[in-house]
Amino acid sequence: MNTRIRSSLIGGLFGFAIALISGGFAGILAGLVAGLINGFSVPQAEPLNNRAGAVRQGLVASLIASVLTILGIVIRSVLIDPVIGTPLNITSLLISIIGALILGIPVCVIMCVIRTEPPARERIGLAIVIGIVLVTYPWLDQFLNLRFMNEVIPVLVFILMALGLNIVVGYAGLLDLGYAAFFAIGAYAAGMVSSPHFGISWSFWLAIWVAAAVAALFGLILGSPTLPLRGDYLAIVTLGFGEIVPIAIKNLDKVTINIWNYPLLVDFDFTGGTKGINPINRPWLPVIGEFSPSTPIPWYFLILGIMLISIFFISRLRNSRLGRAWTALREDELAAGAMGINTVNVKLLAFAIGATVSGLAGAFYGSYISAIFPESFRFDVSVMLLCMVILGGLGNMSGVILGGIIIQFADRLFLPQFSTVVQKLIVASGNESLREVNFASDFRLLLFGLTLVLMMILRPQGLVPSGRAARVMPPVKVEVPHD
Amino acid sequence: MTNILETRGVTKQFGGLTAVNDVNFNVRQGSITSLIGPNGAGKTTFFNMITGLYVPTAGSIVFSGRSLVGLKPHDVTAAGIGRTFQNIRLFANMTAVENVMVGMHTRMRAGVLGILANVVGVRREEADSRQKAHELLDYVGLDASRADDVSKNLPYGDQRRLEIARALATDPQLLLLDEPTAGMNPQETAELTQLIRRIRDERGITILLIEHDMKLVMDISEAITVLDRGTKIAEGLPSDIRSNEQVIEAYLGRGAAAMAQKQTQQGGA
Ligand SMILES: Nc1ncnc2c1ncn2[C@@H]1O[C@H](COP(=O)(O)OP(=O)(O)OP(=O)(O)O)[C@@H](O)[C@H]1O
Ligand SMILES: [Mg+2]
Repeated sequence: MNTRIRSSLIGGLFGFAIALISGGFAGILAGLVAGLINGFSVPQAEPLNNRAGAVRQGLVASLIASVLTILGIVIRSVLIDPVIGTPLNITSLLISIIGALILGIPVCVIMCVIRTEPPARERIGLAIVIGIVLVTYPWLDQFLNLRFMNEVIPVLVFILMALGLNIVVGYAGLLDLGYAAFFAIGAYAAGMVSSPHFGISWSFWLAIWVAAAVAALFGLILGSPTLPLRGDYLAIVTLGFGEIVPIAIKNLDKVTINIWNYPLLVDFDFTGGTKGINPINRPWLPVIGEFSPSTPIPWYFLILGIMLISIFFISRLRNSRLGRAWTALREDELAAGAMGINTVNVKLLAFAIGATVSGLAGAFYGSYISAIFPESFRFDVSVMLLCMVILGGLGNMSGVILGGIIIQFADRLFLPQFSTVVQKLIVASGNESLREVNFASDFRLLLFGLTLVLMMILRPQGLVPSGRAARVMPPVKVEVPHD
Repeated sequence: MTNILETRGVTKQFGGLTAVNDVNFNVRQGSITSLIGPNGAGKTTFFNMITGLYVPTAGSIVFSGRSLVGLKPHDVTAAGIGRTFQNIRLFANMTAVENVMVGMHTRMRAGVLGILANVVGVRREEADSRQKAHELLDYVGLDASRADDVSKNLPYGDQRRLEIARALATDPQLLLLDEPTAGMNPQETAELTQLIRRIRDERGITILLIEHDMKLVMDISEAITVLDRGTKIAEGLPSDIRSNEQVIEAYLGRGAAAMAQKQTQQGGA
C-alpha cells in the first residue's frame, strides 16, 4: 500500500476511534488529533518538492482522515447514542463535523508544510504547533465540555516518569522493572516534609527539591547492588526492589528501635502505614493563590512546566560526554570500559538521574491528589511505564512521549469510555450474562502485555526509532533556476 | 632505550587451562613490536591482562614505571594504553564521530552539573572534541561523508579503521592492535600497514601488534615475540624469528623445521 495513504489512514483511524468511543463534542478533538498525527507522518513517507506540493499533499491526506473521523462521529451519534439513551441531536452532530473539519484540515496542512522545511526551521515550526496545542488545550477542553483535564494531568505525570525511565532503560540499557519505587520514594519524601504528618509543613516549592534529592539518593542506594548484574538478572533484582519499597512503606508505621535497652524509638509512625500521608500541602503562587483541586488549569501548567524543564535538561545530558557514555554502555559494556568509561559511575548516574525525574513526578502527584498510599506504586505502574517507553521507541524522547500519550489515554480515557459504551449496549440488548464484565479493569494488564509482546515481534525499535535512522530520507528541495 | 611496557612471569589460568604461562616480555618505547603465535596461543588473553579486562593469575605488568595489575580497564586507558579488538567491538548504533568521541571520554572533563548548566567550558570542550574526532576519522582514512553514518552500516574495512580512530582518541602512548587486518584484502592490508607506520612515525605512539599476516609482521616489526600454547618460545628481530626452528615447528608441526631446512639446502645447491 502507498505509504502516503497508509499514514493518512493511521491519522484517520485515531480520529475514528476517538469520535466513536468518546462521543459528544470529542469528535472535534478527534479531528484535531487526526490532523496532527497525519501531518507528522505524511512527509516522512515521501519527500516533497515544494510548498505547493506540501499543501496539496496535506489536503489529500486530511481528506482521507476527515472521512474516517466523520464516519466515527456519525456512527456514534446516529447508531450508538440512541441505543444507550442519548437521543440523536442533529445540531450537535453538525457542529461536531464542522468543528472537526475546521480544526483538522488546517492543522494537517500546516504540519505538512512545516515538515518540508529545513531541519532547523522544521524543529521551530513543530515546537510552535505543539506549543499552541498544549497551551490552548485546557480552554478547548472547557469549551467543548470534554472534562478530560482531570485525566490529562496524571497522563503528564506518567509521561514525565517514562522520560526518566528512558534514561535508565533507553539510554543506558539497564532494564529496570522496579522504577515505580522512586515515584513512591519521591512522593513520600515530599509528603513527609509538607504535611501535618511530622509537623513539618514546608511549601511545595521546597518539598519538590527534597523529593528529587531523596529519590536520587535512593537511586544510588538501590542501584549499587545491581552494578555487576546484566540483562535478566538486573531485571529480577530491580523487580524485587520495586516490590520491597511499597511493602516497606506500608510496614514502617510502628518502628521500634532499642539501643542497649534504651528505647530510641517506640512505635514511631514513619510512613503512615496503609493510611498513607494526608493531607499534603498544595502549591501556592502569588496571583493564583493556593492551587485548588477543583481548578485543574494551574496544575496542568505546573506539570507541563516540570516536564518541559526535564526534557530540556535531559536532552542536554543526552548530547554530552555523559550521554554518549550511557549509549556506549548500552551498546557494549566491555568495549565502553576499554575506551576509558568508568562503567560503575556512569551506571550510578543513570540510576540517580532517572530516579530524580521520578521523584519530581512523585512530589507533584502527592501534592495534586493531596494524599499518598503505599498501594499507588505497585508493579503495574512500572510495567505500564516500560510499555510506554518500548511502544514509543527506546532511547528517543519524542517516541517515549508518543508511546506515553497512546498508552495513558488508552488506559485512562479510552478503555473506561469503551467499557461504559459496551456496558450500556449490553444493558440495552438485555443480555444478562455479560453484565459483570468490566472491560476497563479486566483487560488492562492483558492489553499492556499484548502491546509489549506485539511490539517486540513487529517493531522492536518502537514507533519512533531513535537516532538518525528515524529520518532516512530528508525532504529534497529542488531549486528552480529562473531565467 | 627504555621499555614502555615490561611484564614478568605473567600467567593466566582458566580453570585447568593455562592460557598464558610465565611470560616475560618487553616493549621498547617508540617501537613497533609484534606478538605472534598459532591460534589459541594466548595472545588475546595477554592483551586482555594488559588492558585490565583479566587479572593475571600471577606476575607483574609495568607500564611507564607504573604497575597495571588490578587496575580497571578505564584506569588503564587513562594511564595511556589504547586498544582495538580482534572481533570488532564498535558501538554499533552510534555514528562514526560519536564512536570516536566516546574514545575521548577520559580526556574530557565535563561533569553532570557543568553539562546541565551548559557552561562555556563544556560547550567549548564539546566543539573541540567533535572537531578532533573528524580529524581522526580523516587521519585513518575514513571518508568525511561517512562521519555521521551509524557504525554498523559502515563497510568492514572502514569499521576496522574506525576502531583504530577510536583507540587513538583515547590519546594513548601505547596502542595495542589485535589482528587489525583480519578479513581484509591485500590492498586494504597494504593501506593499513602504512597507517600503522604513520601512527608510530608521526604521532610517536608505540605499537604492539597481534597479527597472523606474516608478510605484514616481517615488514613492519622491529621486534617480534612468539607465543605457543601460552609460553614464550622466541623473541628477536624479524630475521631471527624467520629462521627459528621452534617457531616454524609451532606453526607447521613437528618435523617441519627439518624439512624446511632441507628445502633451503636443496634450493641452495
Ligand atoms: N575467558 C576465557 N575463559 C576460558 N578460556 C579462555 C578464555 N579466554 C581465552 N581462553 C582460552 O585461552 C586460550 C588462549 O586464547 P586466546 O584467545 O588468548 O588465543 P589467541 O592467541 O588470541 O588465538 P587467536 O589467534 O585464535 O586469536 C584458548 O585455548 C582459549 O580457549
Ligand atoms: Mg586472539
